Amino acid sequence: MLWAYLHFPHLLLDHIRRSRNGRDEANEENSKPALVVVDQSAQRVLQACPQAQAQGVQAGMRLKTAINLVPELAIAHADPGREQQILVEQARWLYRHVASIVLHPPDGLLVEVGSLEKLYGGLAAVWQTLEQALSERHLTAWMATGATPLAARLCARAGQGQCTADKVHMERHLHNLPLAAAGFDDRTLTRLQRLGLTQMGEVMTLPPAELARRLAPETLARVQKIQGSRPDPQQPWQPPHHFRQQADFVQDIERAEGLLFPLQRILTELEEDLCWRQQDTDSLLLVLTHRHHEPTRLRIRTSGPEHRAEAFLNLMRLRFEQHPLPAPVASLVLSVRRFLGREAAAGNDLLGETRDLNEAWHTLISRLQARLGNDALQQLSPQPDHRPERAWSASEVQRKPRPAISDLTSLPRRPLWLLNGPQALPEAPVAWYSGPERISGGWWDGQRVHRDYYIAGLSSGQLAWVFRDVRGGWFVHGWFG
Amino acid sequence: MSKLLNTLIEDARVWQGHRQTRTTQPAEPTGYQALDNQLGGLGWPRGALSECLLDAPGIGELQLVLPLMQRLSHAGKTVFWLNPPHTPYAPALARDGVNLDQIVMIRTEDSGDLLWTLENCLRSPVTGLVLAWPGKLAARDIRRLQLAAEAGSNVCVLFRSRRLADQSSPAALRLELEAGEHQDLRIKVLKRRGSWPGQRCTLAMGRRADLPVTESNRVVQGPWSASAP
Repeated sequence: MLWAYLHFPHLLLDHIRRSRNGRDEANEENSKPALVVVDQSAQRVLQACPQAQAQGVQAGMRLKTAINLVPELAIAHADPGREQQILVEQARWLYRHVASIVLHPPDGLLVEVGSLEKLYGGLAAVWQTLEQALSERHLTAWMATGATPLAARLCARAGQGQCTADKVHMERHLHNLPLAAAGFDDRTLTRLQRLGLTQMGEVMTLPPAELARRLAPETLARVQKIQGSRPDPQQPWQPPHHFRQQADFVQDIERAEGLLFPLQRILTELEEDLCWRQQDTDSLLLVLTHRHHEPTRLRIRTSGPEHRAEAFLNLMRLRFEQHPLPAPVASLVLSVRRFLGREAAAGNDLLGETRDLNEAWHTLISRLQARLGNDALQQLSPQPDHRPERAWSASEVQRKPRPAISDLTSLPRRPLWLLNGPQALPEAPVAWYSGPERISGGWWDGQRVHRDYYIAGLSSGQLAWVFRDVRGGWFVHGWFG
Repeated sequence: MSKLLNTLIEDARVWQGHRQTRTTQPAEPTGYQALDNQLGGLGWPRGALSECLLDAPGIGELQLVLPLMQRLSHAGKTVFWLNPPHTPYAPALARDGVNLDQIVMIRTEDSGDLLWTLENCLRSPVTGLVLAWPGKLAARDIRRLQLAAEAGSNVCVLFRSRRLADQSSPAALRLELEAGEHQDLRIKVLKRRGSWPGQRCTLAMGRRADLPVTESNRVVQGPWSASAP
């Protein structure tokens, strides 16, 4: 088996830089403040962007020193939970290229590449695919191959990765690795160094029994795992059945337009993800976190299955126009949990026009719902009830053919307009055309109705549906429009 | 340039008093032969606004658009009702053979939303017919709607107050509706493309309440036997 390891030396930094890229495209690259990631107690710099490095800031430096060097330094705090999520995001796209991924939190991904050589036509091609995918996402990663998971990991973390499948070459490379990069604990490392050992190869040639007796069995286990003479089972990662991406901003975003750029990147990622899965979705959850305010949760629904980033972005733009941001946004998370299988194009006609119309219908309805609210659009349907108020119902719009009423002529004659509530008859009708039709019902649910309906013409020429209730009052209930 | 002028004249976009060009605008038959005859044999113009001006609902105004609604809803086109003054009664629509799956009722809060909605509906290829009760509209807004209607080639009928009959409007067809004596509908053409306005006709609308049609001899014009929609 051949393993490759991707080590992200400054993943959090890349992630934050990516979120703010292009936000102020008009400005020069230099106008963005230098960015560093500091540890949770805000004492030391953990990661520094190239720009900060150019001004003298280095990883491991005290934060105070860094601020003295670069007064307008932008600071982000490391957060293990968040880093884990960002790592999972990377694994998610990586899964499109490779089958077996192992997460090594907080900053590494292990990939089994031996089985991919045939698919891609050689290790070099796999390597190139990965490098291209990384550069598309503006990520820095150190990659290395190794015969064992641990060997690949050590080479990658040492920054001495090479793309090779040659066992002898890899072994020589491993032997030359300095002992400090082997990841032993401090005590073992000191003891080994006191023995006069400086390179990995020197330790690996020691007799195993002696190594276990003089040092510790754990040290032997580690050396054997690196060599491959002891099993080192790995827990392969399975992509979760939901989509989640987040963007964190160093400076809060006050205007909704500023959110559209990172959203577009995430939505493009979503579109690609949906295309790979051959799935669609109709519901997105966007959570905007604010510093001093409850998070805003926006649910964006489309009226039908959708996968295009453009369509989602348009809906969000409309939504932002209608609902301005309550507070500046510190970060945003887009998640999708509901996936729908993509339907094959209905082959009704040769040119596929029905499909276009279907899409156009969903686009239009989604647009209207995004601006007017879901309740503003309604579909009507008759209901089996004698009482006129209850003989119809309004429901949310959906494009599913409902069962048709088979026998239309058996329905009684009703007006096309129904008033929202009966209104008192303003004048005596000039003509009576039909009636009475007694409608009595509702004793079963307390909404008792007992009326005699007539069709009558008023002096204005209107044709009204009037009734007399039990108390003898006359009301108009509808117009024959 | 002359080609452009020719197009304008052929499409009857420029009104000429001395020469009545038969307009070649696309149109949908109204379903009432008598009315179609008065509208140059065509009917509701597609890709243009139509206005119906009336005082109060209940005089047969929905009956006027019902044949078109039946036809379009069964052809898979969506019919939008924007801000209707009352509830369109589903059992009655179903009884009249309208496909309720294609009926979408929309209510908007303010006139800005209404115009936006109307414009979006008109531009969409899925729309067949838009019925709107817009309330007050500025001439500028109607002009904008007219452009949206042209982009989508749908039928759009605005129901407005009869008081607006003497005001000008960019709509391509304007009908003034008035209740007749025997539950019929008197229609006066206030404006139409490519011809003199002022035609009148009367349609018997008694069937909307299953009234006996005995007054057909009073009807001014129209071969009624052929017209039954």
